[in-house]
Amino acid sequence: MSRSARHAVAYWSLPALSIVAGLGYLVAAGIGGHPWLGAVMLGVMVLFAGAVLAGGRYSETVRGLLDRRDERIVSIDAQAAAVTGQVLLTVLVVAAVVEFARGHSGAPYSWLAVIGTLTYVGAVVLGRARR
Amino acid sequence: MEFIVTGNAVRDLRAAKGLSQAQLAVAMGVSRQTINSVETGRYIPSLALAVALARYFGSTVEEVFDVQER
Repeated sequence: MSRSARHAVAYWSLPALSIVAGLGYLVAAGIGGHPWLGAVMLGVMVLFAGAVLAGGRYSETVRGLLDRRDERIVSIDAQAAAVTGQVLLTVLVVAAVVEFARGHSGAPYSWLAVIGTLTYVGAVVLGRARR
Repeated sequence: MEFIVTGNAVRDLRAAKGLSQAQLAVAMGVSRQTINSVETGRYIPSLALAVALARYFGSTVEEVFDVQER
């Protein structure tokens, strides 16, 4: 795949994934007996996809986040993702500790924290092997 | 041995060519914001972008970027 084709795929991947997630919500909510809720969630995801695409026309930052062409935006995105992961993992660990203190098993926070930790370790091992 | 980038001549070289930040950004395949961040020293470019900038201006990386040993 050429470089420009990769950028084009990257550009459309977030809006496409948003709509696929919205369709997933619609199906899941329909199965759960709340089709209107699913329709609302699909609408929200379609609006989000549209807003992202519209934002890409006016904002270099949004466009850079979509097409992954600009190395500075890509590094900012990686840093933001790392901070987000750290915050989420911290929240999960704190929530699991609170649940343990309340006499519960800690689920689902404990196993989500385990998944996060294993993902981090796996990413480090893979990254170490590749560079 | 550790080196740090203490400045660069991108703004001067760009101005000497009569280019806007947007024009240089298009030539380098990056955003105008990135060119601005490089010029103001807020962003140190990758080796690939540094070499691309240097070649575009017909210079070497060390002529474009001030690199000093810490």
